[in-house]
Order: sequence, then structure tokens, then C-alpha cells
Amino acid sequence: MSAQQIPDLRTLLGRGRGGGLRARGRGRGDTGASHQDREALRDNAVKGTDQDAAGSRVSCVELGYLHDPYAKLFATQSSTRRLPLLNRGTYVRTTAIDLLIDKFITTSPDSPKQIVSLGAGTDTRFFRICEAYPGVDLSYHEIDFPANTAAKLASIRRHPLLFTKLTSGPPLSLEPTATSYHSPMYNIHALDLRSLASPPDDTPLPTLPHLDPSLPTLILSEMCLIYLHTSTVASILSTFLETYIPAPTPLALVLYEPILPNDAFGRTMTSNLATRNIQLPTMSAYPELADQRQRLKGYGFVDGFEAENTNNIWRDWVSDEEKDRVAGLEMLDELEELEMLLSHYCIAWGWRDGGAAGVFTMAWGDTQEQDG
Amino acid sequence: MSIGGSDLDRAIHQLRSCRPIPENQVRELCYKARELLIEEGNVVGVDAPVTICGDIHGQFHDLMELFRVGGDVPDTNYLFMGDFVDRGFYSLESFLLLLCLKVRYPDRITLIRGNHESRQITTVYGFYDECLRKYGSANVWRYCCEVFDYLALGALVTGAATSLSPTDAPLAENANIECPPDSDELEIETLNAAGEIMSRCARGYDGQSVSQPTSNPPSSSPVPTPSRTGPAGTGATSSSGGSLGNDSGAILCVHGGLSPLIDTIDKIRLLDRKQEVPHEGAMCDLLWSDPDEIDGWGLSPRGAGFLFGADIVKCFNQKNNLSLIARAHQLVMEGFKEMFDSTIVTVWSAPNYCYRCGNVAAILELGEDGSNAGYVRRSNGDQGGGGGGWILGSNVGPNGGAGNANGNRRLSSVLGERAREGPGRRYRVFDAAPQDSRGMPAKKPVADYFL
Repeated sequence: MSAQQIPDLRTLLGRGRGGGLRARGRGRGDTGASHQDREALRDNAVKGTDQDAAGSRVSCVELGYLHDPYAKLFATQSSTRRLPLLNRGTYVRTTAIDLLIDKFITTSPDSPKQIVSLGAGTDTRFFRICEAYPGVDLSYHEIDFPANTAAKLASIRRHPLLFTKLTSGPPLSLEPTATSYHSPMYNIHALDLRSLASPPDDTPLPTLPHLDPSLPTLILSEMCLIYLHTSTVASILSTFLETYIPAPTPLALVLYEPILPNDAFGRTMTSNLATRNIQLPTMSAYPELADQRQRLKGYGFVDGFEAENTNNIWRDWVSDEEKDRVAGLEMLDELEELEMLLSHYCIAWGWRDGGAAGVFTMAWGDTQEQDG
Repeated sequence: MSIGGSDLDRAIHQLRSCRPIPENQVRELCYKARELLIEEGNVVGVDAPVTICGDIHGQFHDLMELFRVGGDVPDTNYLFMGDFVDRGFYSLESFLLLLCLKVRYPDRITLIRGNHESRQITTVYGFYDECLRKYGSANVWRYCCEVFDYLALGALVTGAATSLSPTDAPLAENANIECPPDSDELEIETLNAAGEIMSRCARGYDGQSVSQPTSNPPSSSPVPTPSRTGPAGTGATSSSGGSLGNDSGAILCVHGGLSPLIDTIDKIRLLDRKQEVPHEGAMCDLLWSDPDEIDGWGLSPRGAGFLFGADIVKCFNQKNNLSLIARAHQLVMEGFKEMFDSTIVTVWSAPNYCYRCGNVAAILELGEDGSNAGYVRRSNGDQGGGGGGWILGSNVGPNGGAGNANGNRRLSSVLGERAREGPGRRYRVFDAAPQDSRGMPAKKPVADYFL
């Protein structure tokens, strides 16, 4: 076979395989599908991201990256070992957020605090906090789609390791179909986050039981707000800043999101995720770390607004000893790729303290951040 | 059944359409390949012309794109520098096709070992799982691993021409031409997948008269703009100096790089290679090391092999009468990257690596020097090399500090003049084969991103 006989694969585009574009369109529901169908497809894709994250967490736990006995109780997929670079990335992400939260909890440890986890899914953070800080005075809230909260509650009911954290008595007595759970310490709110955006008419905002407007509150969005439109995100956050947790109560936001959509890696990420019906609208709105900082400030987190990519966080936030431990867990060959992957995700954290010596300034004022 | 002659051609045909061959044929093929490879030395001698390729990593459709861009076997001679397997979805088909071609055209294709051609690495990075999935047992993986143990550790290309004869290919949009219009002494030419000229650089040409910031490939290629003066991916500067000659020193091809335990190519020849890649030692280093902007040797963050600086490369090349080291092993977004005054080049041949990185790929064509074909230069005698002395990077002074004039002079006296003109280098840069033609598995692949 000479080179001329090798088919140019580009010429196969648009024909064969049952009609190219049309067939692909049908498969994904992009062509001809109504607006509502597309929205539903996207919502389902976003709901599905949670099990993806859960599987990554389990992989990390089983290999010794993270200590989290709760992760496997929530994962529905049989455990899949992830590639070393993904394990490393999950480790950095989790460890970085743990660090910010630990600093928050341990600052004025006796005063009550509140955490709101957006799109929490199967996140185990509440259970890990209970284990690490027994007796902590904390009101923890998770918000997610009913489909995800129902699955989470089912897992909690099934496993004593989980429900004993919530009740000292018998297992949780909840309807099998329950999607929400409320208690002074732990709350699962089953709702579409978009309902917290200011409604066009005067529809009242959902009530979030046990959410205390006077407690210093940390809002956590780990790969959550990124899936929503920029204006929707701004509106949801303004609901928290002005209505649920109004000034002068200290309020902070921690984001974990991809950045740099415009280089080759970022463009490929955008198009790969699009084939899974996953869109990342705010990524193009805040492409660089500097944009993320300005964004936090613009929302009203004016007392501190920081952002750092996870490559630098691995370098600067993880001790040499811990780096050695983690590096010893798995042989990691794909260094250039790891660096590229990690530099395309960031942690951004901003706060409104409503006073000079607020809890977040004390907790995070000296957290290391490099200009990037 | 035995595999040979028409059976082999049938197997090639089947693998070209990305369909695995039956297990008994794999066993037979691997047996034949081992018989062939055992006869090769640790460092295979290869005559120019030859096309040098970097990592493939199971990206079968991109390998087909490579053959389309570079010409098919046996019309084009190929040298693949390892990492055929792992990461991509089609390690099995990619490696078996290359192995079939090796058995069918042993003098037309050279395969050397990469760090992924190892039992330990393939169990982590996908090839083992792929074999298990496609055959239901680990037998095929075992046969392939036995072949891995027999792959050569390096190759030495001789008879490469020092300059390229210019092609009459059309210019690509935004082409970067750094040579006189009538120049017939091209040192570097970069072509895109359509065969259009992206950049050209004449040997010793003072490119100052040429407008500078146009070293961008066509806007359709997702290639970052390099900050240096040469064409994208090259370290070429206008100071490479030297007289024109038509015998280039030899080119050493190795997957990773150099080893502190190896100062001559003959020492590579003495290694016992027929084993699993060890965790340390010379054989490990050759497959794992990376060049880096340091002085001397450094610890590798990969946990195996070493980092080595420009001084190491220049000494090694001088001592071994090499004009260039070609290696793979590191993802470079531009597909290729020349370092240390073009004494070493990284060639990367897996476009959009892992279907995620968005990089382009490249292959390196070395032309044949008609007057000197096949002449193996082995003496370490006097170097008749180029005119200009070294222009040393500021970081390669022998005292570990920034190179002062004194230090440069001393290093120059150690190294002498530049050993050899580098070979003329034609890079062909290509993108990933389109997604729709890949037959990507319908099943959702593993977590590609953090969600």
C-alpha cells in the first residue's frame, strides 16, 4: 500500500456510518431536539458528573492518597482505578479545600459556624469533619438535585458508619422516597440550585431549614457553579450575600473549577466535555486566575479574593514530606501532562468579613498565593 | 498456523483496519519478531534516509495519519523510538501492526524500546487491561512483553545529509522563511500535514532581515507561539554558524536520553538488554531520562532516570562524533522541540495525546547524503567541523554559575569546535485524525477530567 492509498480520514467526515452529522445529531439529541430536551440532557449529564467524582475519590482512597472511609459507601460504580495523574489531581483538589476548611473551623474553634456545599452530591466532607472535629459546633448544608440527594440519603440509611454520625439513636427514620433531610447539624436540601437565582416574578425563594443568617458561613462550589450560566451564578450568589446570609455576617466562597479555556488543552477540554453534553459557561467568562479574583470581588467578597492553580497549590501548599509520601504511592510517568492538567484547574477563595478582624481574615489572611 | 508470506500480509491488512488478529497469530508473530530482534544489537545501525517518530501510545488512528503524512512502509523507512503502547485505546492494534511491518520489512522499519514497553508500566497504564479485554486472557500481553525484552535500546543513523534539498511545496499561510530566496542549503524545514511549508531555515543564515514574529504555523493548528527566533519547535538561531559540508555526524536515537553511567555508545552496546526494564542503571536511564536546563546531572521528578543539561549533551556528542541526539518521551505541544543549540531534539508523534492535550505531533525526516551513504563513522579523531565556536547558553558555565567569558572559553577548549554540522531536518507536523473516523468506543471512557 502506498501513501496515496491510505485513506485521508478527514474525507470520511460527514458520510458513511449512517449519515454522519444527522446520525450523530440523533444520537446526542442535538439536532431537532427541542430546547427543553437539550436542557434535560444537560441536566442529566451534570447529575452524572457526581458519580464520576465519587469514583475518582474511591480510587484515591484505595490507593492511599486520601483517608476517607466514607467514599466507597456512596459510590455506585464498582471501583475503577484511575490513572495516576487523575489520582494526583483529585488528591490536590481535596487537600486544598480541606486546608481552607480546616483553617476556617479551627479559627475561634468555640464559635458556631456554617458550611453550605453547592451540588454536594456524594461528597463525604461532612462525615470527615465529624470524624476530625468531634463536637464541632457546625451547621452543614448540602444542596443538590433531588435525584442525587435521594441516592445519598439511601446510602446514609444503609450504612451505620454514616447514620451514626447523624443520630445517636436508631437509624434515620425517613420515608424511603425522601429527598431531603433536616437537623440542626446536617441538612440535605433537594432543590435545583437555579431556583435560588432571583426569580423574574415575585416567586418566593425556597426556604432552607436550619440555615442561620447570623453564622459565619462558607459556601463551597466544587465543580458545581461552573455548569450554570454566568448570570445565574451571580444571581444565586447574590441571594446568599443579600438574603440568606446578609451583611454583616461573614461569608466566604470557595470555588474549584477549570480555567484557561483558550489554549490547546482548554479548547480540547471544552470540546471533549461537550460530547458528553457538559457545558462550562463560566469558564469562558473567567478564563484566567486574575479574572477569578476580580469575579469574587465583583460578587461582593471584598475583604479577600484569591485564586491559584492546582499545580502551584501542589507545589506550595503540600509539605515536602507529604509530597514524598504521595509520590511514593504510584509511579507517575506523565509529568508534562500532569502539570498541564493541574494548571487548568484552580481554587479560588474570597470573603466578606464585615469587619477588620473577621473570622475569614484570621483564617485565610496569610494563605499562600503566587501571582499567576 | 504459521504466520509468514501471505498470512503476514493478511494480518497487516486486518490490523490496518484496526481489527485485532487471533491469539495464535499473535503468538506466531511475536515468536518471529523475537527471532529477528535477537539478531539486532543494542544500538541498531540505520542508514539515512529515515523518518524518525516519537511516542505513539496506542493512538492507532493517529498512527495511520502519521503514515499518510510521512509515506507508507515500505516506501518510507521508519524508526520508531518506543512507547507504542499504553494510554490510547488501541495499543494492541498499533503495536501489532508495527510488529507485523517489522517482520515483513525488517530493513525498512526499526523499533526501539520505550519506558512503556515494560510489564510493570503496562499494568498501570492500560495495555494489560486492553489485552485482557480484547482476548479474555493475559496471554497476548505476555507474548508482547516477551517481544519488548528484545527491542533494541537505541539506533545510530548514519549517512544523513547536512542540508535539505528544498521542496517546491506551496507556502502555508503565515509561513516563516529565514533564508535567501535562492538558498539551496536548508537546515530545517517544517511542513504541515497538507505538505505546505510552515517554516524554512537556511544554515548559518542571518535571519535579521526577515520579519520575526511570524513563526506561527497556520492558524488552524493549535500551536503556541515559540519565543525563540527559529521556526516553531526549533532552537535554531542565526548563530549556528559554520561551513557547509555534506557529511553529518551520526544521529543517536534513544527513547529517553543519556545516562551518567554511559559515556560512549560502545558502552550501550555492552549492556545485557534482554530483560524487563530495571528500576535503575544504564538501561533504565536510556529509557527514562530527560534533557533539562540545568548544569550536569539532576534527579528526575519521574522517579527513574536523570535530568541532563546542555554540557552533558555536548560532551557526549563530541566524544561520540554525533551531530544530534533524537529522543521522544516528553510531550511537546509543537510536536518537536530542539534544545541546546540543536544538539538534541524531542520528537513527539501522538497528536492530541490521550485525546485530551490538544497538542500537534511531528515526525523528523533525515535525507540521504548521496556522497557518503552508509559510511559508518566510528573514529573519535579530529573534528573537521564548522567555523564558528560555541555560542554558549548563559547557564552552562562549568562553574555552575552564569557563564562568564572566562568560563565559556574554558568549556570551549574542552569541547573544541562544534563537532559536526547537524543533519538537515525536515519536520512534518500533523493533527489528530478526526474524532468521527476513530470509531471511538461507544462506552464512555474513564474519567478524563475532574468533574
